[in-house]
Amino acid sequence: MRVPLERKVLNENDRLAATLRERFQNHGVFCLNLISSPGSGKTSLLERTLEGFGPERRIAVLTGDIQTDNDARRLQHFGFPVRQITTGGACHLDARMVERALEGWPVEDLEILFLENVGNLVCPTSYDLGEDARAVLLSVTEGEDKPLKYPATFHHADLMVLNKIDLLPYVPFQADVAKENARRVQPGIEILDVSCTTGEGIDRWRAWLDRHL
Amino acid sequence: MSIAAAVLEALRAEAANHGGARVARAGLRIGELSGVEPESLRFCLETLVSGSDLDPLAFDFELCPWTRRCRACGAAFRVVDWNPACPTCSSADTEAAGGDQMELTYLELEEP
Repeated sequence: MRVPLERKVLNENDRLAATLRERFQNHGVFCLNLISSPGSGKTSLLERTLEGFGPERRIAVLTGDIQTDNDARRLQHFGFPVRQITTGGACHLDARMVERALEGWPVEDLEILFLENVGNLVCPTSYDLGEDARAVLLSVTEGEDKPLKYPATFHHADLMVLNKIDLLPYVPFQADVAKENARRVQPGIEILDVSCTTGEGIDRWRAWLDRHL
Repeated sequence: MSIAAAVLEALRAEAANHGGARVARAGLRIGELSGVEPESLRFCLETLVSGSDLDPLAFDFELCPWTRRCRACGAAFRVVDWNPACPTCSSADTEAAGGDQMELTYLELEEP
């Protein structure tokens, strides 16, 4: 007997993500899911972001890694709440991990919640975390063709942050080509150039965040 | 691997809705933009099914292309070579119209 279905494979994750999204939106929390390859600078971008915010700002970070709480420790110096999600093998965050990590946290009081995903350009793409926006980081020490190689990730992103632009004079990376590739995959994508080392472009990134509050 | 596990979880839930019948075959619809490589998913499914209570279980994959729709002329088209422009009228004003599917489309249940 053949039973026709229309069931999303990740419907359980999607259901939880929808609950989280409703909770964030009801309380005016802007939730951003940060995705990139390992080493593109997600944690560095968050360090730069947190150091520029005064203590009156209500910001929190959940940071995901397969092992270690090194990223949470790097981010704890800035006085904002940070929690590490150690996935113990999973190469992405899912909505249940986020829900559990938020237990007992005053999420309702936040302006911004950053979700730093596990460094991976493939698997995080499929998992809705209830975020309002998704940002993908690409650094100039990678290939310009990453958007073409990982179209699903860039297609689902609202923003591309091109990081490590201070290294452009020393690497063969063609920034224009990378941006054109990202726009082919996602014509509506916004793009920001930044260097977490020199701080260049961080003001534009912060303005982008403020625009979404 | 976690997506393969989610497939089996969804499949078990649906089979339970049908009196816990044994599933012989399941249909999956996978889009080009779903972030899932069909062959990797097939390998992970086979690995998880092998030796489990679901063994033997066959999967049918239906692959869905990456598509966009033209806001100017209304044509829906398959995106080839990452080109988002409309092949009919050349307009660049197009919107996403499919390719991120990851769905269970049918179960073939054994008669009790």
